[in-house]
Amino acid sequence: MAPRVAGSEDVVFQPVRALAEGVRTRRISPVKLAETFLDRLERLGPRYNAVVTITRDRALEQARRAEAEISAGRYRGPLHGIPYGAKDLLATSGGIPTTWGAAPFKDRVFDFDATAILRLEAAGAVLCAKLAMVELAGGMGYRQPNAAFTGPGVNPWNRDAWSGGSSSGSGSAVAAGLVPFAIGSETWGSILSPAGHCGIAGLRPTYGRVSRHGAMALCWTLDKLGPLALTADDCGLVLEAIAGRDPVDPTTVDRSYRYPGAGPAGRRFRFGVLRGVTDGCEPEVRDNFARSLEVLKALGTVDEVALTDLPYDDITRTILFAEAASAFEDLIESGGIAALTAPEDRYTAYARDAILAKDYLKALRLREVMMREADRVLAPLDALVAPGRATVAAMLGAEVRSAIRGTARDVMGAVGNGAGLPGLTVPNGFGARGLPTGLQFMGRAWEENTVIAAACAYQSVTDWHTQHPDVA
Amino acid sequence: MSDDEPVAAEVETMLALVRARYGDRLDASQLAAVRTSIEAIVQASRALRAVRLTNADEPAQPFAAYRAEP
Repeated sequence: MAPRVAGSEDVVFQPVRALAEGVRTRRISPVKLAETFLDRLERLGPRYNAVVTITRDRALEQARRAEAEISAGRYRGPLHGIPYGAKDLLATSGGIPTTWGAAPFKDRVFDFDATAILRLEAAGAVLCAKLAMVELAGGMGYRQPNAAFTGPGVNPWNRDAWSGGSSSGSGSAVAAGLVPFAIGSETWGSILSPAGHCGIAGLRPTYGRVSRHGAMALCWTLDKLGPLALTADDCGLVLEAIAGRDPVDPTTVDRSYRYPGAGPAGRRFRFGVLRGVTDGCEPEVRDNFARSLEVLKALGTVDEVALTDLPYDDITRTILFAEAASAFEDLIESGGIAALTAPEDRYTAYARDAILAKDYLKALRLREVMMREADRVLAPLDALVAPGRATVAAMLGAEVRSAIRGTARDVMGAVGNGAGLPGLTVPNGFGARGLPTGLQFMGRAWEENTVIAAACAYQSVTDWHTQHPDVA
Repeated sequence: MSDDEPVAAEVETMLALVRARYGDRLDASQLAAVRTSIEAIVQASRALRAVRLTNADEPAQPFAAYRAEP
């Protein structure tokens, strides 16, 4: 019997888990599923500046293979035949450009696939697009949304607003139903920001969980790859496919990862809230967080906790600036940054010559202290919770508040990224201008499943993740 | 260099370094923006230096001696 569905848009805004069941039972055709999302990427992608390259030929080849395998009884698992998009800093072979969002690299082609791309292929996923991003993952100091040669990322909930970044297209494409899931990267905020601003789920895995081989290096000791999807549960499904040790990325660890699903209903969680974590948040963000805490209190305990006073933002910022300056030494010193899109990206990095080697090393020594302090606070908890972002998305013409530049505080982001801890954001309401707000969960190292289970529990009693922008 | 040294002097020293390296590429407004960025870097560095560590506090970084196998 031939698969009967899809091609119609009733598959749009369905979680990966639901699509997977349709594919597994052959109610959904992977080829028609791919065609549906390829058509949406072509038709709607430009509206959000979400796409760099649509990989139609590769997608249809992978989808046909998936369909044939499933018809023959060789089902690989929940990503088999599921379309996705990859942030355009992941190398792809076959003549597909990998631009890093930056004009100087817009025609550059690699002859190999990043490990994450290979692992998704092995899981049977279907690569439909390379997705837009802030140029060089935001590492040159951009201050406003128009910082990519593809234009500013546009928010599906309000087209006058930014999508967030630097995984801009990964956020907007999932939120607008252009792909069921996407891969993004985070150095400091680049998964949680677009996921939060676009009202979807975004998971930052533990540093070392996912190979970065073939991904653009911004900061060797901060960069992580992770999924953006409609639900926390979907993030777990995708993480299982891309996680694991990789001999060509020495930072990956030899810890197996399996995602067992959301876990039993009724599990009780222990949540912590950092003292002062809502300082500087917009009123609507603070109100939505307060309501979320009431929901979480029904799922377990919520206690205020405190970190020892340390310059957390300065630690992570110094590491980021120094490593980014080194990673892009050639581009900066040659003056190649003058070809970048954001005017401020053409000169801001010059300032980083002012970072002394001993200050970078002091940041690395303090990072060790920070790691131990974060683990001390997290050890009796399942997760720290906080607003996903302090504000809703900036308007397209406005300056973006950023902890990286020091124009906002983000202790959760500084500690989470500096210490390499897993974090996950899910939608928890709407704020100014009809834009989504988010709820962030952060756990101990390697506790992705605990963080996902907590977020799934929250999503099991709320319906924010079932609301989608009108993109008709 | 003392932590008591005025921030401005440190900023000017660093700015002079940047100007010497890249000054021919920077107009006045860009140089002013670079100065602002350097001020933030210097403030961050001072915040790091203000935290006392012991001689035994090592950097968090992986390093292992290398030998090609076999």
